[in-house]
Amino acid sequence: MANKIKWESEMQVALNRAQSESKPVLLDFFNPG
Amino acid sequence: MDAVSYPDTKVTEFINGNIVPLRVHFDNQPLSSNFNVQWTPTLVTLDRNGKEHHRTVGFLSPEELIPSLILGIGKTHFDLNEFKPAVENFDKIISNFSKCDATPEAMYLRGVSRFKTTHDGKNLKEAYELLQSQYPGSEWTKRALPYRLIPA
Repeated sequence: MANKIKWESEMQVALNRAQSESKPVLLDFFNPG
Repeated sequence: MDAVSYPDTKVTEFINGNIVPLRVHFDNQPLSSNFNVQWTPTLVTLDRNGKEHHRTVGFLSPEELIPSLILGIGKTHFDLNEFKPAVENFDKIISNFSKCDATPEAMYLRGVSRFKTTHDGKNLKEAYELLQSQYPGSEWTKRALPYRLIPA
């Protein structure tokens, strides 16, 4: 069972995954502070 | 989001199984400027070409986040004229998350998707009638108001 979100950190990597997996992308702009 | 919603098991499983998660710092350039980000958290649903289809700003509880993500997926299909998967996603929200903020919009867009598929106005009228009966105060009920005049 997955227990952590497998975040990407690069847009192009995420878009490549989206193409190959036929999924949309969730882009989260976050403030770590 | 990191303290409450993202660690939630249902949220984690939903995101890992249904959408490609991409996380960047709020002042990441050029993304922050390109998407006109003014506050965090800002969550944007993109299609495979990077085009935006859905956005939320501010905290969402796990109970609200999952239907909002499904709405984003449905809206992505809707905007791409992929009405069958759009309706499937809107149905999931309507069936499983009836008390959530995303549900009236899903009900509205399901009616529009069905209309675009069939060109039958009864789908719009049915959407209005469901919205009026279940979410009478919703902005989406107001947007559907003209559909009440469509002949049965």
